[in-house]
Amino acid sequence: MEQYFRWAGNAVTGDLGVSFRSGETVTSLIAERLPATLTLAVAALVVALLIALPLGMLSALHPRSLVDRFATVVSQLGISVPDFWLSIMLILIFAGTLGWLPSGGYVPLTEDPWGWFQRLILPAVATGVVSGSVITRFVRSSMLEALGSDHVRTAEAKGLPTRQVLSWHVLRNALLPLVTVTGVQLAYLLSGVVVVEIVFSWPGLGQLALQAVRDRDFPVLQGAVLLFALVFLVINLLVDLLYSRIDPRISRR
Amino acid sequence: MTAPVLAVEDLRVQLRTPRGTAHVVNGLDYTVGPGETVAVVGESGSGKSVSVLALMGLLPARTATVTGRALLQGEDLLAMSPDRLRQVRGPGIGMVFQDPMTSLNPVLTVGRQLVEGIRAHQQVTRQAARARAVELLAEVGLPDPQRAVDRYPHELSGGMRQRVVIAIALSNSPALLVADEATTALDVTVQAQIIDLVERLQSEHGTGVVWITHDLGVVAGIADRVLVMYGGRCVEDGTVDDVLERPAHPYTRGLLGALPDLAEPLSDGRRPDLATIPGVPPPPTDLPAGCVFWPRCPVRGDARCETEQPPLAFVESLSRATGSSLPHRAATWCGEGAR
Amino acid sequence: MTQLPTPGANPAEPPPAEPIPPSRPARPRWRETLGLLARNPTAAVSAVVLVLIVLVALFDETLAPDGPNDQDQSIALQPPSWSHPFGTDEFGRDILSRVVLGAGTSLRVGFLSVAFALVVGTLIGLLAGFYGKWVDDVLMRLMDMLFAFPAVLLAIAVVAIRGTGPANAILAIGIVYVPIFARVTRASVLGVREEVYVRASRSIGASDFRLLTRHVLPNAAPPIIVQTSISLAFAVLAEAALSFLGLGPRRPNPSWGLMLADGRGFIEQAWWYSVFPGLAIVLTVLCFNLLGDGLRDVLDPRQRTLTAGSGR
Ligand SMILES: Nc1ncnc2c1ncn2[C@@H]1O[C@H](COP(=O)(O)OP(=O)(O)OP(=O)(O)O)[C@@H](O)[C@H]1O
Ligand SMILES: [Mg+2]
Repeated sequence: MEQYFRWAGNAVTGDLGVSFRSGETVTSLIAERLPATLTLAVAALVVALLIALPLGMLSALHPRSLVDRFATVVSQLGISVPDFWLSIMLILIFAGTLGWLPSGGYVPLTEDPWGWFQRLILPAVATGVVSGSVITRFVRSSMLEALGSDHVRTAEAKGLPTRQVLSWHVLRNALLPLVTVTGVQLAYLLSGVVVVEIVFSWPGLGQLALQAVRDRDFPVLQGAVLLFALVFLVINLLVDLLYSRIDPRISRR
Repeated sequence: MTAPVLAVEDLRVQLRTPRGTAHVVNGLDYTVGPGETVAVVGESGSGKSVSVLALMGLLPARTATVTGRALLQGEDLLAMSPDRLRQVRGPGIGMVFQDPMTSLNPVLTVGRQLVEGIRAHQQVTRQAARARAVELLAEVGLPDPQRAVDRYPHELSGGMRQRVVIAIALSNSPALLVADEATTALDVTVQAQIIDLVERLQSEHGTGVVWITHDLGVVAGIADRVLVMYGGRCVEDGTVDDVLERPAHPYTRGLLGALPDLAEPLSDGRRPDLATIPGVPPPPTDLPAGCVFWPRCPVRGDARCETEQPPLAFVESLSRATGSSLPHRAATWCGEGAR
Repeated sequence: MTQLPTPGANPAEPPPAEPIPPSRPARPRWRETLGLLARNPTAAVSAVVLVLIVLVALFDETLAPDGPNDQDQSIALQPPSWSHPFGTDEFGRDILSRVVLGAGTSLRVGFLSVAFALVVGTLIGLLAGFYGKWVDDVLMRLMDMLFAFPAVLLAIAVVAIRGTGPANAILAIGIVYVPIFARVTRASVLGVREEVYVRASRSIGASDFRLLTRHVLPNAAPPIIVQTSISLAFAVLAEAALSFLGLGPRRPNPSWGLMLADGRGFIEQAWWYSVFPGLAIVLTVLCFNLLGDGLRDVLDPRQRTLTAGSGR
């Protein structure tokens, strides 16, 4: 905790300055791009959880079953696939061959909600699959651990209905640490979308940062890095706070 | 004689492990009558916990193979449907687990964990169940039970948690109580209190009790009969008096420090304890062919020891002498000759 | 009251279902490890595939069917065929040959950056774990700060400051993994520091260096080896990402990431241009991950290392 605070002290005092290239203030440049990046990161997280929760739980409940093997293979692949290549493949299939979705771009939600949603799907899936794979493995191992724990045996010995054992004694305990993992993944997603943004021409911070590197526009780059670090820190802080609220072992200390 | 609460017949448990099949329980036979207490003793790893977990169907289904019969009030636990087994867990068998530190769910309050057990089997309101939970906590001697119900396990000491686990086991007034090292973490006064409680339960409800312990003091105090386990087998059983006063198996005598070779006082005058039986128990993946105790046995009085498993046979009994019919049995070849 | 003093009678201790592994001898048992690994088919296959990939990278010039830079406009953007199994690019260059040559670039950058992270991180972890106190505080706080930065961004920042090119890509990727190695090493060192034989040899006057090299390092080795395999997977991914963004090695030397960047422009006409280099990345990364998981099962049953995918 304290390291974060020390960190925060340094991070927020920096004056973000003015872009070498456009002359705009870095703050305004970032403010312009931040919503798009946040949108994408959150959408990717939703995709990740939609994949990970059912897959992780099912495979823990039926170890070595078909579902489990499928989940293992999928998550292993998901971890090994470069997100930008996955993006290209998705474009190839869904925008090219099938022609179902646009291959990139961005329209504001306020102008064209359907268009916004259509353009969000592919980048969100491309980034979400990777995080989803990480979270799947986590959910599985944490469920397995919970399933084998002594207190679950006590619950079974009480003669509780299976559903109650699973929901109150297995899931609840297994998913508590998921809060932390999800937070960390959100933080990684925020930086991970950098590359995917480029592929889908998504006007977020990633594009801004990359352009800044190419232009050697240091104030902008510095601002972006600082912002990401700040976001990282805030998320970790929030996760700590949230965790201490939901886990009695911590909050009652 | 009244029908037993529990009759275990030829109970065997095999566990698949990375190092091969572990023969953890190898043919247990015993009965527990109404109101009767059977103490199970034996070294660590002799299969005590596994044998009772098997009764309740709590061994991992994926790795455990359980055979034999275990009749709870005439109904075979090992052949029950999962639904029926669920009904029996709680009111049929209450179990106190060995490790109080991990046996409770860390993120639920003590009260909740008691209440859910009560409400799984009794049609009572949440309030009534909670009131009953407070009552139970008071009965097991937890100080300030009104507040304790709302606490989380980590806020309680090991001994307090152990009492909560006991309260959970008793909450549905089980026909059979299985206590695995139930009082080991408790100090003597609390231990006495728990034992009183269990004895009251026994006289009121005719509860049968299986009491696993390392504590011979407890055995002498509460048990009607004793079952000595070694290497997953019953090597000796009988009434407390028979087993403690006239142990027939070299292992039992070793446990009791009664074996002549081993009972020599040490130089400082103390009696040597069990640790002085040389060697360690055989791994359940690799049991000896003959008598399980043979590799460590200081007597080895018979040629068959190494090759042939001794059956559990009747041996001399105090109660026989006094005209009662409670058997005293031991599985050893040197039983007749060595005594 | 008589207690049966059975070993392990402490009720707070769970029954010893798994025997606690005896403290490792000073040197990892290579034979045994390899034997165990061979019994894990996934890891074994991964290891074999990786060896093949490394061989391909070593003998790329010989193995590549065509010169990777041989241009022939008449066969530009040809789909896969017998003469060009992976097709050709917009200059008529053989994509298979370029993928083969890209292996060299990817693995070189991957290995060197992990080597950098390994050496620096292990050193920091050793110092922090072994000397403790303020050394530990300062070093690990530094590592925490570094770790707090998202990996891609950190790499981009390094390239932004130092310019593009292979050396800087190596540095950029290496820096990202220094904290991970430092943490893993430190944890192992703390684990073995107090073990009996370390204390024993300290008391007979062994020097710190001797202690580090003879006792601590070999004991810390298993998790470090596992971490190395997993980090190699990340490093290959990171190299591809940097190249894809144009921040890695430069043209015309082929690199998988760079090929994907070039192929993007032809995605509608030439799917093979984007598919095959990507598959090469996936295969390599997958094998490093699988090998890492297999090694972990064998070497590090207590799971001190990060799982694949965390820290990405
Ligand atoms: N889940 C399991 N998988 C494999 N082997 C097991 C498992 N549980 C117990 N065992 C093994 O079974 C044997 C008997 O264990 P058990 O827990 O029944 O011993 P115990 O008599 O209760 O000992 P203690 O006095 O220490 O409680 C031991 O050798 C143990 O290693
Ligand atoms: Mg036990």
